[in-house]
Amino acid sequence: MDMRMTKNRWLLAAGLVAFALLPWGLGVYHQHIMIVSLFYVMMAASWNLLAGYTGQVSFGHAAFAGIGAYASGILAAKAGVNPWVGVAAGTLLAAIFGFLVGILCLKLGGIYLSLTTLGFSEILHIIINNEYEITRGTMGLQVPGLLSEYSKLAYFYIFLAGALLTLGVVYRLIHSDLGLNFRAVQNDERAAASLGVDVVKVRVLAFTVSSALAGMAGALYGHYLLLITPQIPSLDQQFLVLSMTVIGGMGSFVGPVIGAFGLEILSEYIRAYGEYHVLAFGLVALAVARFAPRGMVGIFRSVWERRRQAAVHPSLPAESP
Amino acid sequence: MKKRLFFLSVMTAVVGMALVCAPVYAVDTVKIGVVGPRTGDAAATGKAFEEGIQLATAYVNAKGGILGKPLEIVFEDTAGAPDKAASGFERLVTRDKVAMVLGESHSSSALAEIEVANRLKVPFVVVEAWADPITAKNYRYVFRAGPSNSGVVKDTIAKWVVHEGFKKAYIVAENTDWGLGIAEISEAALKAAGVSYASLVTERKSQDHYMELAKIKEFDPDVVLAFIYGTGLHYFVAQAGEVGLTPKAVVLDGAGPPSLWPDFWTNVGDYGNLECFVSSMHKQVELTPLATQYREAYVKAFGQAPTDYKSRSIYDAILIAADAVNRAGATDAEKVVDALESTALLVTRGTARFGTEKGGPEYHQWMPPMLVIQWQNKEQVVLYPPEGATGKLKR
Repeated sequence: MDMRMTKNRWLLAAGLVAFALLPWGLGVYHQHIMIVSLFYVMMAASWNLLAGYTGQVSFGHAAFAGIGAYASGILAAKAGVNPWVGVAAGTLLAAIFGFLVGILCLKLGGIYLSLTTLGFSEILHIIINNEYEITRGTMGLQVPGLLSEYSKLAYFYIFLAGALLTLGVVYRLIHSDLGLNFRAVQNDERAAASLGVDVVKVRVLAFTVSSALAGMAGALYGHYLLLITPQIPSLDQQFLVLSMTVIGGMGSFVGPVIGAFGLEILSEYIRAYGEYHVLAFGLVALAVARFAPRGMVGIFRSVWERRRQAAVHPSLPAESP
Repeated sequence: MKKRLFFLSVMTAVVGMALVCAPVYAVDTVKIGVVGPRTGDAAATGKAFEEGIQLATAYVNAKGGILGKPLEIVFEDTAGAPDKAASGFERLVTRDKVAMVLGESHSSSALAEIEVANRLKVPFVVVEAWADPITAKNYRYVFRAGPSNSGVVKDTIAKWVVHEGFKKAYIVAENTDWGLGIAEISEAALKAAGVSYASLVTERKSQDHYMELAKIKEFDPDVVLAFIYGTGLHYFVAQAGEVGLTPKAVVLDGAGPPSLWPDFWTNVGDYGNLECFVSSMHKQVELTPLATQYREAYVKAFGQAPTDYKSRSIYDAILIAADAVNRAGATDAEKVVDALESTALLVTRGTARFGTEKGGPEYHQWMPPMLVIQWQNKEQVVLYPPEGATGKLKR
């Protein structure tokens, strides 16, 4: 067992090293796709922590990314604050807003929570659009980069570090005692409370951590694009993140990673269809939610399980009639 | 099993044929990128660009192409959104390997794109984004073969207001780089001309202008300078008619094309009559033989006379780009920029020449002449400049 775990760790480390070296062999365009994919890994993994592990389906996740992006961007562009300090401030502000929204939604669940976060997202969007003297509205706020010299390769490693940090935080949380509490709250809130789980703490903590991670992702993304627009906290962005998580596998650790890379790469190929590619993702997400609720990860697992069963019991048919 | 084998064989054959044939059909071309809104509120501009691209590509290729190779245009949709514009521009350069980029009709998008052009060191000729900072930033790789806010206001709009004897003007500007920029320049120009004015800012995508119109009506202006782009302008014109602001006051569409889009009359109805707009094109005002040639080619290709002048703007830009690369003798960015700086090419709107003196928006700027036109019973009547006028203002 130990040997198997060691082997798996080595494989994971080798895979990570190979992935980290990959951009050296790619052109600028493909490096850009990898960077954007890593941004979506951060977004989808942090949303998954909330929706997949505690069952709180929030539609305000992109809004928290927007808070991080605009806080960092405004500080850097208007107050001359170092962009790295701006990223930290943006992350903190998103965490504070996440905490407040988490408290606001304490007694809300299901559709009511989703509607409240949807309202929060729209309010933020309207404020950003109308307060153009501060945010520049739809004109976009031009912000300085994180580096004195623009380099796709350097941004790739910054986003890789951000994605690993996000995945590390999510992994540690879901594999701790708190993770068990998350699952308990997701499965049955009342039963969890009757067994001594502090439901309020679990929900607010999940909201705060998830929002902080989204804020960090948004802040990094804004400084990478050198331009922050209301597109970052838009519902389009929210539904794209939702689609990535659902298609990849909501409630699984690697699902959002698969979904983020899969859909971002696919979207580059179907970009010519304009906004319709988001619609296509939404339809695929609906179909996956209906017919394969565990997403791509669930499909892989069931195929793997079937093969393993067939290997253990060769006399059994591989497929049911 | 047989079916599967057959399917596999067919697929192998198809893929094999594709691989074998691909090099045969691959033509060595010179690629030039075009950015513009093919979707969104100003999708009509993207259509106008496509028409101009079709005619210009045929024209350039009939004259031997660029550097002896056919010209190929790669169009990237920006949807009028700055973030999409910046990433689309970068995609053209890094994925499609274009030699240079042309186009754009939204100032906010262009302002995002010029940063990418400057970073990637790729020549960019802006066509119909008017904000002064686009060229005022004095970037080596950025040019503009089209109107600028200050050029349009000082050379055309302010002079027309004085020419018509208007005493009171109201400025309505959308909250974009173009709208806010042109409003500020207009205020200064009206003040200098001694015209009384007031102004307000409106949301770019607003469909309800009644509150704003009540305020404007109270001011009782002779002319309303409406700097609203897209279908928002249609709502404004229709609602101005509904509340009775027009025809007592004249509305000038300060951008132009929205008054020429196919759905203009459907959206505004009779309230569109006597509306004025800025344009660089009119069938009776053709400044060069190429303008006539362009109109004839347009009619032949599309079965009607051109309406949206932006199709002709992109046509000119493509000719300017082809000329510059041919004179540079290479697609090398530095050589192309040097060639663009020494451009003196007769296009449909006159002789294109870029300013080379740094310090202001005139740097790398060529300002084509503009007209003020009025709809009179669905006919376009040129009001300004007087030497090109085909009629007088009606109210």
